[in-house]
Amino acid sequence: MLYLVLSCNSSPLVQMPEEEFNWLLKEEVHAVLKQLQDVLKEASRRFCMPSPGLESQLKQENFILGSSTYGTLRCCLFMLGFSPQDINLKIAKSSQVLHFQFREDKQWKLQQIQDARNHVNQALQLLSSRDETYHFKTGAEVNKLMDAVMLQLTRARNRLTTPASMTLPELATSGLMKMFTPPMPGDAMINFYINLSKLCLTVYQLHVLPPNTTKNFRPAGSSVLHNPGAMFELNNNRFEVSHVHKVECVVPWLNDTLVFFTISLQLCQQLKDKISVFSSFWNYRPF
Amino acid sequence: MYRDTSHKAFTNIGFTLYHVVSREMCLWDVNDGRCIEFTKLACAHTGIQFYQFTIGTEKEGRLLCNGHYPEILVVDATSLEVLYSLVSKICPDWISSMSIIRSHRTQEDTVVAVSVTGILKVWIITAEVSKMQDLDPVFEEESKPIYCQGCQSISFCSFTQSSLLVVCSKYWRVFDAGDYSLLCSVASESDQSWTGGEFVAADKVIIWTEDGCSYIYKLPASCLSASEHFRSDIGKTKEGSIPPLIYKIAERADKQLLICPPVTRFFFGRREPFHKLLIQGDSAGRLSLWSVPDSTPRQTLQVSSTISLQEAFDKLKPVSAGIIDQLSVLPGKEEPIKVTASVYIPSQGRLVCGREDGSIILVPATQTAIVQLLQGEHMLRRGWPPHRTLRGHRNKVTCVLYPYQVSARYDQRSLVSGGVDFSVIVWDIFTGEMKHIFCVHGGEITQLIVPPENCSTRVQHCVCSVASDHSVGLLSLRERKCIMLASRHLFPIQVIKWRPADDYLVVGCSDGSVYVWQMDTGALDRCVMGITAVEILNACDELAPATVDALSHSAVNLKQAMTRRSLAALKNMAQHKLQTLATNLLAADNADKVTTALITFRNTRKQTSLETGGARRGNSSPGGQFAAGSSEVPASPAAHHLGQVCFTKKRLQGQSYRKPSSTLAPRGLQFDTCGLVLSSSVSFQESLLRQLSLATGRKLTLSDIVGKGAYGLSRAVTTQHLLSVISLANTLMGMTNATFVGEHMKKAPASLCGATPPPSPSPSLRASIADISVIKR
Repeated sequence: MLYLVLSCNSSPLVQMPEEEFNWLLKEEVHAVLKQLQDVLKEASRRFCMPSPGLESQLKQENFILGSSTYGTLRCCLFMLGFSPQDINLKIAKSSQVLHFQFREDKQWKLQQIQDARNHVNQALQLLSSRDETYHFKTGAEVNKLMDAVMLQLTRARNRLTTPASMTLPELATSGLMKMFTPPMPGDAMINFYINLSKLCLTVYQLHVLPPNTTKNFRPAGSSVLHNPGAMFELNNNRFEVSHVHKVECVVPWLNDTLVFFTISLQLCQQLKDKISVFSSFWNYRPF
Repeated sequence: MYRDTSHKAFTNIGFTLYHVVSREMCLWDVNDGRCIEFTKLACAHTGIQFYQFTIGTEKEGRLLCNGHYPEILVVDATSLEVLYSLVSKICPDWISSMSIIRSHRTQEDTVVAVSVTGILKVWIITAEVSKMQDLDPVFEEESKPIYCQGCQSISFCSFTQSSLLVVCSKYWRVFDAGDYSLLCSVASESDQSWTGGEFVAADKVIIWTEDGCSYIYKLPASCLSASEHFRSDIGKTKEGSIPPLIYKIAERADKQLLICPPVTRFFFGRREPFHKLLIQGDSAGRLSLWSVPDSTPRQTLQVSSTISLQEAFDKLKPVSAGIIDQLSVLPGKEEPIKVTASVYIPSQGRLVCGREDGSIILVPATQTAIVQLLQGEHMLRRGWPPHRTLRGHRNKVTCVLYPYQVSARYDQRSLVSGGVDFSVIVWDIFTGEMKHIFCVHGGEITQLIVPPENCSTRVQHCVCSVASDHSVGLLSLRERKCIMLASRHLFPIQVIKWRPADDYLVVGCSDGSVYVWQMDTGALDRCVMGITAVEILNACDELAPATVDALSHSAVNLKQAMTRRSLAALKNMAQHKLQTLATNLLAADNADKVTTALITFRNTRKQTSLETGGARRGNSSPGGQFAAGSSEVPASPAAHHLGQVCFTKKRLQGQSYRKPSSTLAPRGLQFDTCGLVLSSSVSFQESLLRQLSLATGRKLTLSDIVGKGAYGLSRAVTTQHLLSVISLANTLMGMTNATFVGEHMKKAPASLCGATPPPSPSPSLRASIADISVIKR
């Protein structure tokens, strides 16, 4: 952060901020914008854009999601871009391996990643609209640009750091549940999401509550991860979650993008702070 | 999640208005400004379009929404319920813009959209599809990459029905509406960035930019279906055929920086003089309208009509008065010194105002309100009301806090203020002495907060200060030192929360990160973000006991009742509020609580109280047509009799006035407050009646309004009006034999005021009040 000597009496000190501010608008702002663009381009590159017609160039990624300590659930996931293609599930208790393929006639992808990518690209578009030739006239103009860029970046980061919290009926009727061949058994539900830099998979095992049960039925609210015992109603049947298996695996490139987002957000904020030092200095007029 | 208002979309259909802010969608009634429906979705919208389905003779409204999700949602226009969605099978991605094409030949309507990656998608909506109610998706009919990234708008030529205009930020293109082949492409000039466009005629397009300019281009022959050269350029170099710019529409005169690009729309007007209209609205509150001629003007087209909110405010006369204007006008200056922070202390009936020159003024609230609202003997005094000035800040005061008001654990004497000079000053409110200056922050103080009740004893005697250098301090008023300074935050502080049981101070920053500080040691315990951060913030809310005091609490409840539109809750709350109001009024020491509520209406009331004064003086009042109107419309009996309460200037002048100093003081706070309430509400009612009479062209009395409802006024506003009328009625009914004419006033000659002041509210007044109070039941 930049601090100024707050003295209004001597004239050289009054003129200095003017010059310094001009330097800030002419040189420093463009240097920061350049740096931001470089960082964000790097981030955008990680999202391996599937441009139309070039799908075959996407590299296939395999993820093994599993927890070594319990080992109740192991999952092998083959991803193409950010659309999962093939999934092997092994739930230890039932000692059976469930193998699912993602239906080819439907496409399902991790929407979080696409959203984050689009937000980054919008931020890049905003930045490229003000190249070196553009002359910023006021601090407010820079702040306006920074606010717009930061909004996109915060959204991009939030998409990755805050997965959607869903109720169990929402999950049961979501597109993901219809994506598999062979179809998912009726007593299991599955959820994929990104949390920070981790790809998470949750499998819920359900059992039907008999209609004349003595249990107090209370439908569970929306949550990212539901606990065993959570209940819900779907098509006049009442279900209870009996087991929850959660496995996750770190996606290295997601980690990189999160770091890039954080760096660029900080760059933006620092630029805003520099401008605010000047604006508060000029606001500080004596009465 | 943080709400933002960056993505707004408006569409106006008949009498309803749809408004989208981020993930919320509201349906408004433009007649009275009520929100009829409200929904919140998990995803953010960026665009919205109205579409009317015709199924046989039935017409049903639908809204098509696009935004930060890879489909187009079709929403019922009245219930705002998502009916189904238009989904892409190939390369699904966000839709950046869409357009609905109606075909007269078949029953099919098509939706043409461009995704963010530049793929054109076409969906066909048939009658069956529009009837569909389940959530089965509709897949696209056609998908073609047209390489238009960052598409801003897409529109269909309704003249020839054979071309499509796609506007991107750096170029605009015309496509054949049949097979979507490129007909022409025009790049923008250096700095311009396009935001939208429309066909003006079969061979002309209008394109507008981010900074509010518009250009009209003539399309080349290859784009016109009537021409023999139509489609002759397909596949050739696009650069050769730059269409000529016909003319330009004048830019905004004031080059002030706008928060967001202005919204521009092109309409076909129904009447002749304005056949083709270009309308633009911007964030500075200006609305401009151009009538687009078919012939070519010689130079840039000038604006046909323009208006802005600022102009409307400038016309306002008399200008709304500030609460301490009489103390703030410096000799030789037009504008009074602005009040930048204030706090009202009900227990002392005092108002504390921090000003932009760094001084803090303490005034008795009722008396200062009387100065602004009523005419009377006080007008003869200089420097009235008695006040105290605290000087210590070197520049603008940004926040004032009276901690004793929040919790009795603080010293009754201390008043805390923060300023843009980075300092926090503790004052003795009774002596006006500066007790201590804290200079711990490196930025302007933005907020002063009182920690909750169950903190450690040390923290209990602190106030929490937030500064614009992203730091938070705990300033102990008892020890007169800063016991903790949390200053590692990289982003501006958005929220401060407390976990007193764990001795934690939780700081939420604007980027979504949360810092947990240990208050005792000043150590940073954790810094988290994402879902954990949200959970930590939510957990603080659950644990926090209700620290808000009773008065503001009931206000919150009333607001909730209003938003939930629950009649029972509203009734209950109104009952409760009225009771407290009535008791407050009668109880002497609490009497002035109502003034805070009244001050908000100050402008209307002041204006009307001046008018009544003017009318009664019989002079030509500067108040204009309203005063003239009042002589034709007889005031209601209630207003007439109670109007005497206003001390008119004439009466003052006619009286030989000998002891100005002793008259106001002995009557005390209670008297002042009651006088204020009554005279302001009378003139308020009078103005309401007068406005209604003018609006309906009928002579009205109070019971007419209340008995017959709203007369085309806003229902929402009338609820507020009714509440105030009811509260007034209750007050008056509770005060039998009350009079506000002091002994010295009674000696005034009767001829001067026209009638002798009645000793108590007249029977006719009582009757009309009884009418009002019926509503309460």
